[in-house]
Amino acid sequence: MLVGNETLYTILFYALSLAAVLFALLMVCTKKILRSAAYLMAVLSVTAGYYMLLGQEFMAGVQILVYVGGIVVLFIFAVMLTRSVELDEDKPTLGRRLLALLVSVLLFAFSVVMFSWSELPVLLPGLPGSSSGSAVAEIGRRLLDTGPTGYVIPFEVVSLLLLAALIGSIAVAKYDSSSGGGAR
Amino acid sequence: MSNLLVPGAFHWLVVSSLLFSIGVYGLLTRRNAVGVLMSVELSLNSAALNFVLLNRFFAPGKVDGAIMALFIVTVAAAEAVVGMAIFVALYRQRKSVDVNRMNMMSG
Amino acid sequence: MTGSVDLSFVLANAWLIPAIPFFSFLLVGLFIRPFSERLSGFIATGAVAVSAILAGILAWDYVSFFGRASDGYPAFVSWSAEWLRYQEGLVVNVGTLIDPISVMLLVVVTLVSTMVHLYSIGYMHGERGYGRYFAFLNFFTFSMLGLVLAPNILQMYVFWELVGASSFFLIGFYFERPSAVAASKKAFIVTRFADLGFLLGVLILAYFGQHFFTEVSAGAAEQPFDFLYLTRPEVLGKLASVGSGFFGVGLLTFAMVLVYMGAAGKSAMFPLHIWLPDAMEGPTPVSALIHAATMVVAGVYLVARMFPVFAATSGGLNVVAYVGAFTCLFAAVIGCVQDDIKRVLAFSTLSQLGYMMLALGIASLENPAGYTASMFHLFTHAFFKALLFLAAGAMIHAVHDNEIWKMGGLAKKMPFTHATFLIGALALAGIWPFAGFFSKDEILAAALHGGRYGIFAIGVVAAGLTAFYMSRIYLIAFWGNARTDKASHAHEAPLVMLVPLFVLALLSIVGGFIPLDKIVNISSVGVQQHGHAGIDFMVAIPSTVIALLGILAAWGLYAKQSDTASMLADGFSGLYMTVKRKFYIDEVYLFVTRKIIFPYIAQPIAWFDRHVVDGGVNLSGWSARICGFGLSFLQTGQVQTYGVWLAGGAAGIGILVVTMLLWS
Repeated sequence: MLVGNETLYTILFYALSLAAVLFALLMVCTKKILRSAAYLMAVLSVTAGYYMLLGQEFMAGVQILVYVGGIVVLFIFAVMLTRSVELDEDKPTLGRRLLALLVSVLLFAFSVVMFSWSELPVLLPGLPGSSSGSAVAEIGRRLLDTGPTGYVIPFEVVSLLLLAALIGSIAVAKYDSSSGGGAR
Repeated sequence: MSNLLVPGAFHWLVVSSLLFSIGVYGLLTRRNAVGVLMSVELSLNSAALNFVLLNRFFAPGKVDGAIMALFIVTVAAAEAVVGMAIFVALYRQRKSVDVNRMNMMSG
Repeated sequence: MTGSVDLSFVLANAWLIPAIPFFSFLLVGLFIRPFSERLSGFIATGAVAVSAILAGILAWDYVSFFGRASDGYPAFVSWSAEWLRYQEGLVVNVGTLIDPISVMLLVVVTLVSTMVHLYSIGYMHGERGYGRYFAFLNFFTFSMLGLVLAPNILQMYVFWELVGASSFFLIGFYFERPSAVAASKKAFIVTRFADLGFLLGVLILAYFGQHFFTEVSAGAAEQPFDFLYLTRPEVLGKLASVGSGFFGVGLLTFAMVLVYMGAAGKSAMFPLHIWLPDAMEGPTPVSALIHAATMVVAGVYLVARMFPVFAATSGGLNVVAYVGAFTCLFAAVIGCVQDDIKRVLAFSTLSQLGYMMLALGIASLENPAGYTASMFHLFTHAFFKALLFLAAGAMIHAVHDNEIWKMGGLAKKMPFTHATFLIGALALAGIWPFAGFFSKDEILAAALHGGRYGIFAIGVVAAGLTAFYMSRIYLIAFWGNARTDKASHAHEAPLVMLVPLFVLALLSIVGGFIPLDKIVNISSVGVQQHGHAGIDFMVAIPSTVIALLGILAAWGLYAKQSDTASMLADGFSGLYMTVKRKFYIDEVYLFVTRKIIFPYIAQPIAWFDRHVVDGGVNLSGWSARICGFGLSFLQTGQVQTYGVWLAGGAAGIGILVVTMLLWS
């Protein structure tokens, strides 16, 4: 656990939360796409901070590496590739915005009400015998565990999924000069 | 400091669902297709956060939640890749990635 | 009585008698008709002939077997099969009821039908629809036989309707003629309307009969619809005691009057007689079979069947008697001035049916002479009326016209037809020794000795008119010189048409001597019956005298080619036209139907049916379409629209579930 102190923990939590929510709101409300991608990057980084707070340093690292370093970059590439000259504006109609607001507020309210009725642990339990390395080792061990509680099969499947995604996206986005630019 | 302010599971969950709801809002609102997918990423990210925090509060010695979050990230990456490929191909055909204009399945 | 007797084969299988014509109908109608016309005629005639033979054997068996018993001829169900089973106490069977009148009618129907079939082979030769004609004729025979043999009211009702349907087919046989189509519709509608009353009466009887079923406990053999049940004295006693609150008339009387409505429709009593004259649009053999000898007597048969029930009512039989008497006189008057030979015979039939009805009406369980007389007259009338129609058919065939004024001098040209027609006419007029003399006199005797002097007088006057109009026709058509070209070229009918005339003429002569009164008897009380050897002179003399007067009057007016008749007609022109136009009854009906029923009753109902009933159904279809149309606007094709609904729906359902959990 990164923080040994309850107060520090609380302050960090609220600060990170504020940042995350702020950046998230900015992300969905801004009209410019590239700014939206930047704000997404910020939110994902803050989430990495969350993982640190929760003691999962490995996950924090993975988050930065994959999400921020890979996916957001991918998004930026895609934005660049699909940008028509004028289309920088992204203004949805008022009706749609209200409707979406209503729906999301409803969802949020529902979830919060459900949480408040449940019995949830209040205190952050300490990690028994934790050191920053054991989590990684444990994760690695579990990923290759062939036993009943092992994740070796999902692991292999996910790698196949990545392969399929790779090949598929190349096939779809390929520039074929003979058929006017589309795949096939 | 009062006990109520110390972030317990409830506070964490509230934050995570807030992020999720914002992601849903973005999903329903953005006109640019890439923007839509970015909001989806936000929601997925909050789901992964959920796994990790619940893992910490309910099963502190285990790492299953982290593994789940790992998988979520991976799958999100795969999904983003394919989605972007599709949008690129679509842009080539239609010269636009405006979601509102993609209504061939109407009626 | 039913099971304990060892019945002969024919008696136990009496259902064969209607079944054979039915199968012939199917065979001829479906398979033979497209191929060979001659074969259709032969097969159809053969089938009915077989039925006639079987009926004869059955009658012989019945009479000889039970003749020795001292308690009279029984009524029993010789064969039955369960048809409908509503509950334990309400079972309807299909079966055959054997009793004196059903046996008698079996013989009459099959015999006359065979004669008509045979005659039709010659008469309908070369006509379009020859095969169809014979198929329908067979179907009619089947229906009529089923009606005669019915052991319960429901089966009788079913066959009643079938007979009506056959009549519809046969009257409208020449369907290219609008007048024929109109006549068949009229017949069907009038009788159908009458059957409304019939059905209501039947239902009332069955309802209350079933009500008392457990108290009387007739057992499984007799059910509330059965005649044998309804005519039991215990049942009748209970039925008669139920009041109905309808003008203070008892329930039984009410029901039986309704039933009589049906009988009156089928037997063309006033005012439901309007269809019978028009029914002459059909081919003449059809008129002979259906509208003289068999179908129209179904009403009389029904009243005879239910005679104990009628007798148990207070005044039911009086209704029967008065309606019958009125029709008898009414029709006879109209028949005197008609020019179409078939119309005259039609009104004559109406008049004779009136006789049968009034004879039933004046009878009672203590004094059943009228019952026997009515059935006897039915028996003889079938023969000589059929004979008259068939002979008329031969005349029409020769001259190609129905009007008597287009005939004339046929006596020399068609000697055989002339002889048989004369026999028939004398039988109808009631001249000794022909059959009609005996049967008509029995009716008049029953009236006289029963103290019904008014009815007796009506009967005597009608007898005189009968003699008058028959002589009128005979003299105009057969005597004198030919009135038109066609008449002068008339020739005798072919043999196949003459044989039936011969047979029927024979029966018209000897029929009067058959001792029917020994067999047909409603009461178990021994009553003094007049044997046929003994003639009741108190009745015979007046009736013969008036018949001779009628003949004389006709002879005076028509025998020589004089103008007396037309002068009389012109002198009383108003009265003459009224009678000739059948007292304008048809016009009254048309007026009521067109001006009152159509606009005020039929049209509102039609409007209601079209707009409310159909509209309701259309509304459900239309509303489904509109909903679909409205909902289609939700499908914008945009992903985010669907996303909104998805997320919103999920949230909504979640909230709903939570709320419901909260409240439970």
